[in-house]
Order: sequence, then structure tokens, then C-alpha cells
Amino acid sequence: MAAVSETDVQFWMAKALSWGQATSCSTLLDTSRHLDYLKSFLQQVLLGLQQMSSTSEAMKTFPFVGQFLGRLCWNPCVIADERSQRLLLRCLSCLYSAEPLDAVERKANTWVKNMLCHLISEEDGSVSHATVKHAGSSPKRYHSEALQKVVSLMTEEVIKSCEGLPKTSARCSNENIHTMSTACVALVTCPQMAPLIGALLKHSMLCGSSCLNQEFIKEVSKALISKRLVLEDEAVVTLWCLSPTCLEGAAVSLLESVLSDHESMTQSLDKHVNDSLLPQASADYCHIFLTVNEIYRNVLTEIDENLALRALVQVFTACFLQRVTGQKPQDRLPLRAFFPNVTPRLLSPLLTAPSEVPREAWLDHLSWIRSLLQSVTENEEAGGDVRAYETVFEAWFLLVQCGYWVDTAVELLVLAVPENAEPLLWLLTFFHHPTNRGHQRSQQTAVAKEAWTHLRILFLSRPPPPSHLGAVKELLSSSLSTNLALHLFSNFAIFSHGPVSIITEITDKVLTEAAVKRRALWILASIRCRLNSAASRDDRVHSRLRTLQDTLLQT
Amino acid sequence: MEAVLRQLQNILELLTVTQTDRVREWDQQTLQRAFQWAEYCEQLHSRFQSNPAVRSALEAGLRDANQRLQDALPAHSPVTFSDLAQCQHKLLVHLLSNPYSPNSVVQMLFPNPKTAEQELQFDQSSVITCKSAFNLLCCSFERTSHPGLRVEAEVRGTLLRELLNSLLTRPGNDEYARTVLDCILRDSAGKPGCIYDVIAAALLSGDDDTDAVTQRFILAWMHERDGCVRELCRSLSPGVCAVLSRQSPEFKRAYWGVLKQWASCLQYDVMGSVWVPTSDGPVTFNVLADRLNHLLISGAPLKEDTETALNALKLGDGDFSVKGISVWTDLIIQLKIGS
Repeated sequence: MAAVSETDVQFWMAKALSWGQATSCSTLLDTSRHLDYLKSFLQQVLLGLQQMSSTSEAMKTFPFVGQFLGRLCWNPCVIADERSQRLLLRCLSCLYSAEPLDAVERKANTWVKNMLCHLISEEDGSVSHATVKHAGSSPKRYHSEALQKVVSLMTEEVIKSCEGLPKTSARCSNENIHTMSTACVALVTCPQMAPLIGALLKHSMLCGSSCLNQEFIKEVSKALISKRLVLEDEAVVTLWCLSPTCLEGAAVSLLESVLSDHESMTQSLDKHVNDSLLPQASADYCHIFLTVNEIYRNVLTEIDENLALRALVQVFTACFLQRVTGQKPQDRLPLRAFFPNVTPRLLSPLLTAPSEVPREAWLDHLSWIRSLLQSVTENEEAGGDVRAYETVFEAWFLLVQCGYWVDTAVELLVLAVPENAEPLLWLLTFFHHPTNRGHQRSQQTAVAKEAWTHLRILFLSRPPPPSHLGAVKELLSSSLSTNLALHLFSNFAIFSHGPVSIITEITDKVLTEAAVKRRALWILASIRCRLNSAASRDDRVHSRLRTLQDTLLQT
Repeated sequence: MEAVLRQLQNILELLTVTQTDRVREWDQQTLQRAFQWAEYCEQLHSRFQSNPAVRSALEAGLRDANQRLQDALPAHSPVTFSDLAQCQHKLLVHLLSNPYSPNSVVQMLFPNPKTAEQELQFDQSSVITCKSAFNLLCCSFERTSHPGLRVEAEVRGTLLRELLNSLLTRPGNDEYARTVLDCILRDSAGKPGCIYDVIAAALLSGDDDTDAVTQRFILAWMHERDGCVRELCRSLSPGVCAVLSRQSPEFKRAYWGVLKQWASCLQYDVMGSVWVPTSDGPVTFNVLADRLNHLLISGAPLKEDTETALNALKLGDGDFSVKGISVWTDLIIQLKIGS
């Protein structure tokens, strides 16, 4: 009896009794509210039953179990719920004896079979029995079609009630909607239900007040996050508006898939990000953008050197901005609303896509960005208070979001003459080393310059001088400069003019560690996304990018 | 065809055996083969359901096989052609109801994560889920468009109409379609009220020409069954009858026939100055008035039609204006229709 407590048994027996066949609205409400707890109780019962050596022992230890399970088998709300049904069936299977030893066990076997029969068929002599029997199709097909029909009738009704809604945000008094959403609590993982769930969510958005059962929203979110429910895009976004948990789930799920560091992810990061719907939803609903960014920002403060995460933040922002650009001007919110914490004068230069600025003006544009950022950092150094520190952080986070400008700066560095390099190297350094604790920035800028110098010689001379190879390798292996050097290296490999064979040779010699190769792949991922959205396509660059990627993938 | 008929014979024998103690000897493999045969029969059914020639041949084969089995085993219940659509289900239900059936029958129904792939699994969870989900939704959903008709009846009626559509769009299936309707009526004999809701829903659902043909077919079938139309009209709410009358001229004619028949069963009680039903009269004066009222309030042209019909009936009865002579005069007075 240790598995389940007496109080629980009494509570759940009383519930099963009072629910009966759960047809009234209040019973339905109560059942759906308790479904989660019921499942954990059923799990406990199942564990208890599994420890029994025979059905007779089970009946003695859990005398309530037959009546309890029997009643639940008649409750459509319980058996329609995927997990409750499975638990219930597994409990029943524990009560079935392959070799019944006495009358009790034989009786239990008959009872189990009757229950199964009841679950799969209709009561003899009923209209449902007659219509299913002569449906001209299998019960499986008939029941599925019947369900689809009732779902479409209900969906129609919900859509109709949306049309009748007042334009103002008057409280929705539609009891029907609430009851329907309650009935859906147990059914969210049933594939036929998706249209109705979508319509209910849409209704709730249109009527501007919460007329849906909260339990319903919770269950739909859970099912969606665990991928046991597929909804139309619009319904998913509506759900994000109604349920912050679900939105967080989606943002975290995207993050996890990126951090899982799967190869395919680095090759089609922008597609993957767009498929998550988050960029589109963020463009439509400012609060979605703010929530998603908040999550990524928090993670970034923990693992700021993770290039996969940086690539995600950058590509997400780029996809978001593309969506915003695609909107009708009258639907567009001012971009300031999406970046409330950033010094406004930074927004315009950084949020402009490189493809919108002529190539000849890139250097000037980047120098402008640099000077704006530099003045922010100088304020920090002068003030040194918390607010100034926050301002620098926000400016840096914006630079990470708009990392395509840093990528552009590094691309320019590949062919830059030394007198133009300084602002570009500064941007690169700030991007990888935002803090200036102990006045490290000047030191870091010196490292960046050193790396740049070595790489220029390495990629311009034939054959690559071994001394510079060694120096680059050393910079790549130092934890202080890996990312920065790698960033430079990747761009040199793609944008320098040397023959592909040399690039491959250098890459093979320099990038030897698997972990460093993986990092490089993420840098290529963000470069690729930027090139995908560029104004014109340079096939030579794309083919070098692919070659480099292939070289890195060969381990 | 020979081979197919032999297979049918086999499955019939199989279904019979599942009701006897012989099933005790079935092992996993036999069980699996039985379900495969049953599935084959389902495919036969779905392929030839609306093919009159093949279907008749199969029906004849079934008749012979049933006869032979009945001679050998008087307890054998005959298997019809439409039963073939649900062969696996029938097999399963027989096995579950049979105390001698082997354990593996029960075990194959339980979802067991540890069960190896090659073991027999007959997943019924989608049937259970869809069936209970349907019941659950029907309980929680009040429809506003067809007052008095439950959603469950509406869905079952639509599915019935779709089945009849698929049969009737092919020639030579009329008789079979009538059999389907007869069987449904017979098998739901316990609850005829509800089956009339399903039929009403079949008459109301759909709006194209095929649907109209099917609906006329259903009404014609009802006319052939003695008292069926009367029972239908009596069972349906006045509101649903009015909606049906508005939609279908055939139903309207039938409904008027029933209303007239009901009126003819009323006689005037001079002492009480009221119309009372004769001993076998089905409805009271007020019920009749209420039904007519529903026709009047459902808008043009039904309102005008009803008034015209009532006035004609009054005229036919001698066009009296005083109460107590013609039931139609009194109904007109009760319903406050200006002549």
C-alpha cells in the first residue's frame, strides 16, 4: 500500500464517482483541471500494480483499483487524453493474468476484456452502434471522420462568433467559447483538433480578453513545445501572445537546437531561424521581439564567447529586420520601440543593412559606427558608474545583434591598406572584447593588429611563410584571442584573392583542433547569411565559402 | 472470383471459430493471419461497395456460406456484406468476448514499450481517442443553427448522407442503399427517436445536386416504410420540421400529409368547447397549432404557403367562420391568420 496514500485514494475515488461520464460543463471543467494530477496518481497506481506478483495480490493490496479504473474507462475526458489513456490501459494490463490461478483472477480477466471491448466499440442497440455498424467503413475511419466533422462544425461556430465581436475590447461574454476550450484540454495532442485550437486562439486574440480556459492555453503550449501538436503559423503566434511560457519555450528551443551544434545548422542557419517563426512574429508583435531578445541577452552574458550563440543573435536580428522591411509602412512600428535600451543615435547606422549601403561607402559607414561606439566607451571610462557601464553593454549587445557590420569590417580588412585598418580593427576588438577591465582594450587592439599583419603576409606570400603560420597558430590557441583571430582568418580565407588550393593548404595547417574548426563553422554561418541577403551575388566568394566549409567538415 | 469467394468462406469460418472454444488453440501466428484475412475483406468491401455487379456476386457467396455454416452450427449469426467493412473490429470483439481466446489477444491491445517490433500489436488507441474525443466535444457544444438537433445527430447524419451519395452516384445501387437504411433503422430500434434526428440531419446537410438526389431518395425510402414519415415528423421538433419544409418541397408535402392526418384524428368536444384527440389520436390541438405556428414564423414563402394551404382546407370543409365545425377554421382563429 506504500505506493499510494489512503487520502489520495479517497480523494480520487470521490472524484471518479462525481465525474461519472463527465458530460456536464462543470464536471468537464473539474476533470480538465485535475487531469494532470490524475495522471501522476495513475502513474503511482501503475507503479504499485507493477510490483505485485499476481492479480489476486493486487486486488488485496489495492481493493479500490477495479472500481476506480472502471469508472475512468467511462469518462470520455480521461480516455480521450493521450497519456491518461495509455496509463489506464497499462494499469488494466497489470490486472490481466496470463495464467489465472483462481476465480478472482479469472473474473478479473473477463472484466479487463469487457473494459477493452467497451473502449473500442459502441453500446449495442444505440444509434451510434447502428450508424457505425453500417457506415460502410472501418470504425477507425468512421470515428476519425466523425471527429473531423464535429471539429469543423465547432471551428465554423468559433469563426462565426469572431465576426460578431464588437470592435472595442469589450469583455467577451461567450460562455460557449470557454466551454469549448475546456473540452479541448484533454484533446490537444489529437491531430484532428488543430483547426479548432487555432480558431479558439484566434478568437481570444480578436476579442481582446481571456475567454479561454487557462488550462487549455497551458496544455496547448506544452503540446506545442514538446512537438506533439502542429498548428498553423498564425495560431502559433497567437499562442505566443497569450502564453509567455510558450514563447519562451520556442525561443529556448531555437537556442538549444543552435547550441546542440549540429552540422546542418551551420549550413542553413537563416532558414532554420526563419522556420522558427520568431523573426516574423517579432516583426508583428514588439513584445515578442523584446522577450526573445531578453532571453538571448541573458544567455549571452553567461557564455559571451560562444560563437554559435552570437551567430544566432545576429542572424535572428537580420531575419527580423528583413521582415520589418517587408511590412507595409503604415503597419510598421518605429524601430526605437524594439530597442528601448539603446542610445538612439546608434540605431540608424547599425540597423541599416550593409546591402543598403553602397560598397564604396562601407568604410565611411563603419568609421561612423566606430566613432559612435567609441564615444560610448569613453563615457564609461570617464564616468565609471553603473549606468555608463550599462550603456556600453547595450551598445555592445546591439553590435552583436548587428554583427553583419562587424563581418563587413573584417571583410574590408582583408584587402585594406594599413591607414584604413585602425577603425576596423577597433570594431573587431570591441566586438570580441567589450570590457575594458585593466585597460585591456589597447592591448587587445594591439593583438588584433598583430594577427591582421600575420594573416596578410600569410595569405599574400607564396609559399606561406612558416614563421607566420606558427604565429597565427599561436594566436588561435590562446584563449584570449582565438575568436578574434579566427574571425579574421575565416574572412581572409574567403575574401583574399589567392588560389583556392593555397587557402585549403593554409586552413589544413592552421586549423587543426576540432573545437576550433567547429567555431570557424559558426563564423562561416553568419558570413553566409549576410552574403545570402547581399544586393548582388558573387559566385566566386560563395564557392570559396563552400570549399572552406567542406574542408572544415572533413575531420 | 472463385478465389475471392473461397477467401470469403474462410473469413466467415474464422469469425465463427472465434466464437467457439476452438480458438483456444490459436497461436500468435494464427491470430496474425486471421487479422490479415480480415483486413483483406475490408479492402474487398471498400473496393466493391459501390460496384453492383461484383457486390451482388459477393453477397450471393456470403449467403451460401452463411447457409452452410448455419446448417452446421445453428448458433452462427449471418455475416452481411456491410459487416465486411469492419471485419477486423468484429474479429477483435468476438475474441474479447470469448473466454477461451488466447492471452495474446489481450496483450496485443496494450501499449507496451518493451514489446519487440516483431510481436503482434493491434493499436486501437486512435479508435479509442477519436471515439471519446467525439463524445466529449458533442457534450460540450451547443449549436445555434439547427434548434433541436444535437451535434452528434448532425455529424452522423452528414456521414450517412455522404455514404448514400457515394452509392447513389453509381447506377444500380438503389436497392443496396435502401438496405443500408433499413439496417440502420432496425439496429437502432431501441432508440428510434434519435435515429430520426440522424435522418433529419442527413436531409438537412449538404447543398449540391447530388445531396438533393440523396435527400429525395431518403424521403422516398421513408414513404415506402409504413408509418415511417409519420414517426419522423412526430419525433422531430416543430422547428426542425419547419427548416426541413423550407428546404425541401418533398418534405413539405409529406409533412402536410402528416399534419392533415393528425388533424383528422381530432374531434370537437361540444361540452368542453375544445378539440380533443380520438383514442388513437397522436397529437393534441395545441401541438398541431404549435407546429403550424412554426411554419408561419419561418418567413416567406413558407408563411404564405401555409396560410394558403390552411385557407384552402378551411374552404374544403365548408368555409365556416364559427368555431367547432372545422378544425382548420379553429386553427386559423387560434393562429390569428387574417383571411
